[in-house]
Amino acid sequence: MAKITLTVNGEKRSAEVEDRTLLANFLRDTLNLTGTHVGCDTSQCGACTVHVDGRAVKSCTMLAAQADGADVLTIEGLAKNGKLHPAQAAFTECHALQCGFCTPGMIMTTAALLKDHPQPTDDEIVHGLEGNLCRCTGYLNIIKAVKRAAELQGK
Amino acid sequence: MDQHHHLFDVGGAHVARLEDLRLIKGEGCYAADWKLPNQAHAAFLRADRAHAKIVSVNTEAARKAKGVLGVYTGTDAFSAGYVKPLSMLTFAGKDGMKARIPDRVVLAHGRVRFVGETVAMVVAETALQAQDAAELIEVEYEELPVVVAPESALADGAPQLHDNVPGNLAFEQEAGDAAAVAAAFAKAAHVTKLKLDCTRVAPSPMEPRACLVGYDAGSGAYTIHVPVQGINMMRMQIATYTGVPDDKLIIKARDVGGGFGQRSIAYTEYVALMIAAKALNRPVKWVATRSEAFMSDSHGRANYITAELALDKDGTFLAMKLDWIADLGAYLHPAGPVSPMRNPVTCLNGVYKTPALFGRWRVALTNTVPVSAYRGAARPEIAYTIERLVDESAAQMNIDPAELRRRNFIPPQAFPYKTPTGSVYDIADFPGVLAKALKLADVAGFAKRRADSEKRGLLRGQGMATVIENSGAGMFPKDEIRLEVAADGNITAYSVSHSQGQGHETTFAQIIGDGLGIPAERIKLRQGIAEQGLIGNHTGGSRTIVGAGTVCSIAAKKLIEHATPLAAEQMGVEPSQVTYANGVFQSTESERKITLGELAAKKPLTVTGEGKFGSTFPNGCHIAEVEIDPQTGVTDVVSYVTVDDCGTVINHTIVEGQMHGAVAQGWGQIFGENIVYDPETGQLLTGSFADYPMPKAGWIRDITIADHTTFGTISPLGVKGMGESGCTASLGALANAVMNALRPLGVPPLDMPLTAHKLWQAIAAAKKGH
Repeated sequence: MAKITLTVNGEKRSAEVEDRTLLANFLRDTLNLTGTHVGCDTSQCGACTVHVDGRAVKSCTMLAAQADGADVLTIEGLAKNGKLHPAQAAFTECHALQCGFCTPGMIMTTAALLKDHPQPTDDEIVHGLEGNLCRCTGYLNIIKAVKRAAELQGK
Repeated sequence: MDQHHHLFDVGGAHVARLEDLRLIKGEGCYAADWKLPNQAHAAFLRADRAHAKIVSVNTEAARKAKGVLGVYTGTDAFSAGYVKPLSMLTFAGKDGMKARIPDRVVLAHGRVRFVGETVAMVVAETALQAQDAAELIEVEYEELPVVVAPESALADGAPQLHDNVPGNLAFEQEAGDAAAVAAAFAKAAHVTKLKLDCTRVAPSPMEPRACLVGYDAGSGAYTIHVPVQGINMMRMQIATYTGVPDDKLIIKARDVGGGFGQRSIAYTEYVALMIAAKALNRPVKWVATRSEAFMSDSHGRANYITAELALDKDGTFLAMKLDWIADLGAYLHPAGPVSPMRNPVTCLNGVYKTPALFGRWRVALTNTVPVSAYRGAARPEIAYTIERLVDESAAQMNIDPAELRRRNFIPPQAFPYKTPTGSVYDIADFPGVLAKALKLADVAGFAKRRADSEKRGLLRGQGMATVIENSGAGMFPKDEIRLEVAADGNITAYSVSHSQGQGHETTFAQIIGDGLGIPAERIKLRQGIAEQGLIGNHTGGSRTIVGAGTVCSIAAKKLIEHATPLAAEQMGVEPSQVTYANGVFQSTESERKITLGELAAKKPLTVTGEGKFGSTFPNGCHIAEVEIDPQTGVTDVVSYVTVDDCGTVINHTIVEGQMHGAVAQGWGQIFGENIVYDPETGQLLTGSFADYPMPKAGWIRDITIADHTTFGTISPLGVKGMGESGCTASLGALANAVMNALRPLGVPPLDMPLTAHKLWQAIAAAKKGH
């Protein structure tokens, strides 16, 4: 067992976790932050993407113990003071979600992508979404949403 | 129909989806998000071989492991009597043949028949403890010979899966007029023959399956939280499997992370969890991994078709015949074999006036994951078959493929059109659909584009598919929608046709809002609320807008009719003196008014609308253009045009989203997705997203989407449905485009998946003159 202390969505959280506990499961099961979804067990789908110290991370690829001392942001903490993040606003505006299961991961990936590329090209968007799978949308509206999020962020 | 209903969002008005806010904030509630107090966790031990006798199952070590509450095996499942799944294959086949339905004990009893079959279930305090303990179970197997290819399974001497399914042939049927077809082929100027494999694919909704079962010992009722396409379909199947009556099965679901047919089944895991929940008197939860999903979720397609088209010298279709083998896997899912037996027969002539048709269908059982509906449910397969035949015929007879189609279309004036297999197509305009698609795809400019590609060393091809499919009809006696008005005038609507991403909360609210003259935002749709006891179909077969969607409009009208006399009473006037508009009842004789909300404040205001609908026929034309790099075999889809007639469009944004997703699934199947089993051992070789290529962002840069509407006559709204048409048309359009690019090199017809490797090899072989 490991004792960990980390910041999640701006709040300090401490817990005892089994060594093998994945960050994704810690967030979902221990902290009840079920907005982070688990869609595969081989780190391909990206539904579990969160930010760890400001970088997008697939939370199924990381042990909770490795996040000790880190600053973690999940989809639940992305909107600030009741205002949606530009990526969230753009996803609904562009109909970039259908079933919504991949959406938290897509939005967290988009938010990180826009930090690196405030005005991403099509190729940068496609490359940036390489690690996120969606079965419903065919991605066309997701790509539109990333562009729209860049516009909204620039405003 | 009312003219103003033609296009709900005509003029580009955009209705943002009402379900989105919770989903973009991480506040959705999917199956794995449910929690019940004191819940325990289950893990399943699955068969690691494809066909074997179970000699013994030693659970001793597992039972002693930390946190374990119970271990259950085939013996428990057999003694519970959870042995016979529902089968909807109730109609007679060839010479009156009755379907041979194998038993399937929910935990394998005596024998396993595919890799991934549930063998034992461990329940523990935590999911990890259950998983650890499952690994301690020792199963002794005696291996049996394996068969994974359906043609091999039907051959003499094949390993036999079930005692009651001799020859592994679960069902055989014929449809059409064999004599007429034979006569037509005898006088044909040209016959085109193709062997077409519609490969086995994994539907792969992004949310893995999960299930949480609670049991109330006092009432004997089970509460089952599970992803569904409709709670009634799930309840009916579980009731049949277990003998537990309907009123003791409370199915619960809110957000469902994609469906595509895969959610419409009561899987063995769900039923096995009931055994544990009752035995332990605790809620028991199970969440599948993706690895489990690949080896236990229903697979899709897996139809293998030999098809022949007879034409006269001018290209008029004289007759078509099919020999169709459907691979259903090791057991029969409830509706699994119904799709390939029924949907291809319903649309056997496609969009053409082919006068003579005949087909033979066989359902084969193999040592593989059971197959069921996947977006389109054999509609894509029959459309693919016909459209591949048409394009090959056009090439062989040197007739323009669009012209060949035009010569054979059912003409617009022929509707309603009774097909040779007895369907009635309600209304369509195939030449109009084709003309619009040809224009949008700039077919006239193709030759120049092809020449430009050639200069760049690339092979360019264009392919089309003009298709039709059946939607609308459902298996439940009717579809119901209940409307409940609150004192603030907001309305709650209840439906049992469950969205798995289709956006019902928006489209249903739009229809109800339109009927009542109030904004859609004031209507809240609640789906899958068992306590409402509504009758209705699940969401599948593109039928929901025809069924539940139409009933939304009927319910709105009924609400006004029901409330008018109540409003009159309140205002002290005669009902005939009351008009209704935009949520307000008004007296024609005085200044008096009362709103729906004010009326509901006086006494409960609830109505239930209902309707029953037959089949209607969405149709369309898709045109794909591809460039293939002969150096690598990689195909780039450079243009894709869809023109669809799905009747009235309620919300163009949602319709386009459905089209994007369905075409992407078609692209996935044509260019890569393919479930592969080792033929010797029956091991699943494509068991993860690392081995199974899902479409990713960038597969195409844009799709041009248009509609060419004729208003369906089955629903008073004029809707036809459209969730599956993108799959139905894209398989043929994409494959035809690739073959069009390769045919000049002398490449013979190829089967999906058209991977870079396969194309490179075909191009290389053609260049060598093979």
